[in-house]
Parts: sequence; C-alpha cells; structure tokens
Amino acid sequence: MTRTLRIPAVVLGLALALAGCGGGDTPASTPTAGGTGLEKTTIKVGALPVPDPAALYIAQAKGFFQAEGLTVEPVTITGGAAALPQIESGALDISQTNYVSTILAAGQGKKIKLVADMYQAAPNTFAIMVAKDSPIQSVADLKGKTVLVNNLRNIATLAVTSQLKAAGLAETDVKFAEKPFPEMGNAINSGQGDAIWITEPFITANKNTLGFRTIADTMTGATADLPIAGWMASEEWAAENPRTLAAFQRAIAKAQQLASSDRKEVEAILPTYTKIDAKTAAAITLGAFPATLDPARLQKVADLMLEYKYISSPVDVKSMIVPTSG
Amino acid sequence: MIAARLLRGAAGVAGFLVAAELFIRFGLGEGLVFPAPSAILLGAWELLADGDFLEGALATLTNWVLGLLAATAVAVPAGVLLGALPPAERAIRPVLEFLRPIPSVAIIPLAILLIPVDELMKVSVIVYASIWPILINTLYGMRDVDPMAKDTLRAFGFGPLAVLVRVSLPSAAPFVATGVRIAAGIALVLAVSAELVAGGAAGIGVYVNVAGSGNRMDLMMAATFWAGVLGVAANLALLAGERRLFHWHRARTGEVES
Repeated sequence: MTRTLRIPAVVLGLALALAGCGGGDTPASTPTAGGTGLEKTTIKVGALPVPDPAALYIAQAKGFFQAEGLTVEPVTITGGAAALPQIESGALDISQTNYVSTILAAGQGKKIKLVADMYQAAPNTFAIMVAKDSPIQSVADLKGKTVLVNNLRNIATLAVTSQLKAAGLAETDVKFAEKPFPEMGNAINSGQGDAIWITEPFITANKNTLGFRTIADTMTGATADLPIAGWMASEEWAAENPRTLAAFQRAIAKAQQLASSDRKEVEAILPTYTKIDAKTAAAITLGAFPATLDPARLQKVADLMLEYKYISSPVDVKSMIVPTSG
Repeated sequence: MIAARLLRGAAGVAGFLVAAELFIRFGLGEGLVFPAPSAILLGAWELLADGDFLEGALATLTNWVLGLLAATAVAVPAGVLLGALPPAERAIRPVLEFLRPIPSVAIIPLAILLIPVDELMKVSVIVYASIWPILINTLYGMRDVDPMAKDTLRAFGFGPLAVLVRVSLPSAAPFVATGVRIAAGIALVLAVSAELVAGGAAGIGVYVNVAGSGNRMDLMMAATFWAGVLGVAANLALLAGERRLFHWHRARTGEVES
C-alpha cells in the first residue's frame, strides 16, 4: 500500500518543498514597521476589473495608501464568491465582495468581516433588457420566459425576483439561466433566452450595438439604493491587523468621498485598470460610492435575502461589520 | 521541399482566415457580434505595445516553464524507477489510471483553498496536469528497451546500474522527450486556466478576464491568439530538439519524415 502512494506523495512532497521556498517572501517579515505601527505594511487586495472598486485605484494613484505607510498590491479576482477561499487561505488580505455572497457565506458560518463600503446601486445601473423586436414590454410579460443572469442565487436573481414580486409574479414564474455578461447579447439573439439582467458597461454596449431595450430598472422600490459591493477580510485577519485595517479604511474612505463628489475622478481612473476606454467611461451610468458602511442600509440586503429564502435565518449585518476606528 | 511544405501551410492558414473573415462579416446571423480575424489580428498587434499584457504574458510564461520543469523533475525519475521495478509498476498502475483522467481544471478550486501563495498554487496545478504524459511515456520507453542489448551487457558482467545508464536510459529518452512535448501543451492550458479561474496580479488569463469585463471581445480573442502562438512555438521548438537529439531513434524505428 505504501508503494501505491508513492507518486502522489512525491507530488505532495514537491508542493511542500516549493511552499517552503516560497514562504520566505510572504510578508511575515514585517513586524512593527518604522514609526507607523502597522502590523503589515504590504497587503494584497483583490478587486474586479469593473467600475465598483474605482476608489482602490484612486487611492493608489493619489498616494492615499502611501500616506498611511501602506503598500497595496492590487490582484484581479474573478468574482466575490471566488475570492472568498483566497481570503480564507490568506492569499489575499482584503478583497472586493458583493454583499449577497458575503451574507450567504455568513449564513453558512464563514468568519468573514465587512471592512468598508464600495458600491451602491443608483437608478439604471442594473437593468432587465430585451432584444429590440422582443414582444416583452414589461416585467409582467416575463411570465414563463427565460432570464439570463451572471450568477444563480445571487444579487441578479434577488434583484429580478424583487421586481417580479412588484409586478405580481413569483420567482417560479420565470426560468433563470447563467451566462457571462459579455455573452448575453449574442445569447439572446441566438435564442438562448428572452431577457437579460445586466450592468454597465454592457447596458450601454447592448443598447448601442444591438439596439436592446431596457424594460425595467431593477434597483427601484424595495431595491432602491441597494448596497452592492464592499471590502471584506477574514475575522482572523481583521483581529490580527487592526492598525493596518484602520489605515486601509481611512485611505479608502477618502477615495470614496472623491469618487462620489466628482464623477470625473472615476472616469479618469477607469481606463487605467479596466478595458473601459475614456469615451465609454463618460457614457455609462455609474452607481454611488458611499464613504461609510451604514449597517441600517446594509441590513436591507439581508432582509431581502431572508424574504426570498436565500438565507434560512435572520443575519444581523452589524455583527459582520468592522467599524472604522479613528 | 521544405519551401513547398511551408507554402502549403501558409496557404492553409490564409484560406482559413479569409473564410472566417467572410463568414463573420456576412454569414453571421443579424444581431450577433463577434470580432473578425482582421480585428483580432490588429488587436494582437496592439497588445505587443500593451505593458499590462506583456507583464501578464511573462507571468504566464514563468509559471508554465517552472511547472513543466518541476513536472519533468518528478515524473522522469519516478517513471524510470517504476519502469525498472515491474512489480511496483503493476501495484501503482491502478492509482495512476485513476488520477490521470481527472480533469485538472477541476482541482483548481481545491488548490486555491489549500495553497495560499498564488504563484505556487498555479505552478502546482500545472505540475499535477503535466506529470502524467511524461510519466506514462517514460514507463513505455523503459518497457520498450531491447532485452537483447540488456542481456548482452549483463553477459559481459555489467551491473544493473550500468545497464540502466548505458542501455535503458538512452533507449527511453526519445519517449521521455515526446512525453515532455505533450505535457508542454497541457501545461500551457493549465497555466491560462488557473488564471481564468483564480485571477491574479498578472497573466494572459487575467488579461482575458479584464478584457471580458470591459466588453472588449477583440482583446479577449487577441490575448487568446498569443496563448496559441506560444503553444505552437513551444511545440515546434521541442520537436526540433527531439529531431536533433534523437535522429538515430527515428532511423531505428523507421518513422517517416512528416
């Protein structure tokens, strides 16, 4: 039996050996850094290449992190849910997340903390669209139709379901199917669905190149001004690095303020970390960039998730938030 | 003769590009959007001046080479050892046959959870995927050694180690090289897939994700094009190396010029 295990053991041994070599450059080597008192001076921060985390790159460009004695290494992630294991394993210190994913994870007992707000829905930032010649005119017409969403059982389906309810329908009256945002337009025109739930820059792109129509803004009524995305860290990391976290929070809050007070700041930074060019950046609809993480506003997300049975018991979001300290 | 072959190959590629261009411009149904080859090639050209892409390509290339080297360093000795000890090979075979067909992309989420250093995670996944073809080919190579040559050496009083070094290893080397060449293609697939699934600071797969999120399908395809070019280049280079090193092998097995 020991023989049959040789190959996997060799693989494992190699992985461990490599881990041993790589261990040297993980930033365990930064105790109290010169004067700033930060537990960790270099942090890896995960973010999506979309408008939401603009403040991270604004703070980086304006030297807000630097002023706090903090070096931030941005890492492109593939989604809030995908970043969660990277936060848990320590591959990332802080990461972008969407609130539905985070509250779902908290409902499953994951020790995740929300450390700052990032992006909040504004009118026409998350729309249900149909092809130009579609017979569908309103949300009520979606009965029995297929709606394409980027992820099942997440913010997309939650937002659409809340609009269905307002139109007198239930979640079960439509069929949801997963499709990445960039492929949704073609998918509709080749008959793979009837409507799409989509955000920028794809709302503008589908309208301009394919003539798609918006039949509903999904961030109205119960979902008006819905908090969308924030910054997360593991409970352990937040407890072990309070001063680093506070420095990050201060720098991000400053950048959020800038982003929310001057749209030009966001337009200028978008082409530097996304493939959204300056012309598109000027044309798309942007959400809001709140400077503080307000538990009362965030609770709305958890309450909606409970109402539509995304979580089985109430989640008090206050217990998930690490408030800004000084 | 080589010139004629190159000419035919170039004609094939040109024909494909023209056909694809015509189909996408005129044959694609109304309301479907896909960048034509001319747009993709133009994008690919522009990527050569894009610092983010070049940094990404370098990161992908580094992981790819490290992964392939590590896999070779593990799989060749293991294959030689198992090939030299048939009972051990028979015992381990079922495990190999079980592990080998597991789609390596499926272990990426597990690797993300277990290995906290991003580059190491990616290299480990590449190693896992590319070990199998090298190992299996080494095993076959060891089995294919001419028994007469081994017996002859033994009859002259050479020990098992000498037989291994003088007969078995040289005889198995061409098989090992083929294994490495097949593994190189698989390693590239995994290098890019790991980036597509896990993201990262830089990489061809990371660039594809960023381009997709910005609704730039032309750049997605252009980056993919370069990944393909890297794969073709690696295959050609390894093939040329095999031909140079093992021309005697081709002569022996009577393989014809392809």
